Amino acid sequence: MKIVGIAACTSGIAHTYIAKEKLLRAAESLGHEIHVETQGTIGTEDELQLDDIKNADVVIIAADIKVGGKERFKGKKIVEVPTHVVIKSPKGLINKIQQDLGL
Amino acid sequence: MKKLQLKKHALTAISYMLPLVVTAGLLIAIGNLTDGSVISDYKAPYSIPDALVSLGVLGMGLIAPVMAAGVSYSIADRPGIAPGLFMGLIANSIGAGFLGGMLGGYLVGYFINWLKASIKVPKWAEGLMPMMIVPMVSTTVIGLLMFFVLGVPIVWLSDWLTSTLRGLQGGSSFIFGAVMGGMAAFDFGGPVNKVASLFADGLLLEGVLGPEACKICASMIPPFGVTLAWIINKKKYTKQEADNIKIAFPMGICMITEGVIPIAANDPIRVIGACTAGGALGGALIMLMGVGSPVPSGGMFIVPAMDNPVGFLIALGAGTVLTAAILVITKKVPVETPIVDEEEEELDFSEVVITG
Repeated sequence: MKIVGIAACTSGIAHTYIAKEKLLRAAESLGHEIHVETQGTIGTEDELQLDDIKNADVVIIAADIKVGGKERFKGKKIVEVPTHVVIKSPKGLINKIQQDLGL
Repeated sequence: MKKLQLKKHALTAISYMLPLVVTAGLLIAIGNLTDGSVISDYKAPYSIPDALVSLGVLGMGLIAPVMAAGVSYSIADRPGIAPGLFMGLIANSIGAGFLGGMLGGYLVGYFINWLKASIKVPKWAEGLMPMMIVPMVSTTVIGLLMFFVLGVPIVWLSDWLTSTLRGLQGGSSFIFGAVMGGMAAFDFGGPVNKVASLFADGLLLEGVLGPEACKICASMIPPFGVTLAWIINKKKYTKQEADNIKIAFPMGICMITEGVIPIAANDPIRVIGACTAGGALGGALIMLMGVGSPVPSGGMFIVPAMDNPVGFLIALGAGTVLTAAILVITKKVPVETPIVDEEEEELDFSEVVITG
């Protein structure tokens, strides 16, 4: 699968980046292609490229708060979860999505 | 109810409010330490410390507006910001504090969504919708509601809460402190900590300083306790954990608990248990000894600005020792270096839905 994602937590200095790392590691170890943007208190980092969004099979939004720029994902399959889900079980989530999408 | 995502809206608002509270708090602390006081007459001469304290106090006045605007923005997107700020100002004026601000934010946010969905205007007037109709109508309707209806019970609730907490003596204050401290230490800056934190910040605005001191103390106990446990028995920690502890300690001095997360992630039950117990003890002692903090954040640097700083250090020390003791006793010597990709927890994904 090709995945794009956003991570954002309340304090915007810790869980955001942990969630990103977990998603990246899990996806790569399962052989998926992934790009994750962080929306921390410092602002948006590693902003998603339009091409990556266009080619993505699914958008994973791991956030405890409202994220910006959702209009970029118009017409995409979107999965929204709190950050703790991808921190605790990133592979489980990705596998579940893959199963549901039948990819 | 779940669809409404009430919690997400509150967390969004808190995330916008945090830098504001920290900055305002530190400004007040630095100003107070350098002998400043709030400027009452701007025509008379004033010093830099006076200016710092005043700026901090002005910033504290922004808490309710920013909370309200944050909640309302989370619900209604951009059109929510301006009416939300108004609701926060109302909350400040009628003495409904941050609770009133949050409530105003929810109401105005949902009202705006309803307006956007239900008002249809002719083509030529479409530009007026976001610029005038939506903000004006929502601010007026919910604003009047806040002034004349909702303000009354909220003020009553705020007053009741404040006077109850002010009146806490002996055993009940001990328990209150323990709950505050335990919550603040439980998830290292996560949602539970933020609830305790928000509560303490709100009470600070009402002039109740004890809970804020509980929060500060209990936020520093986890990094300090983990560090002390590591110093006592280094064998029980892997190289990676030790590296994390070396980062977590200086963060802890500045009251940033998040440094403990990687250590807790490696061994959640023991670390969280030990930290919560230490935080609870620290919080309880704070309330018992009547320690108060006029500043919501800043760690060791603001201890001199507190009421009863020695009591604060005693509570911090006791909590740290308890956390460290539990860790030293319960922690096992690692068999092998844990792999970075630790085992996953079993989660129920039945509520995870793919949309679009």
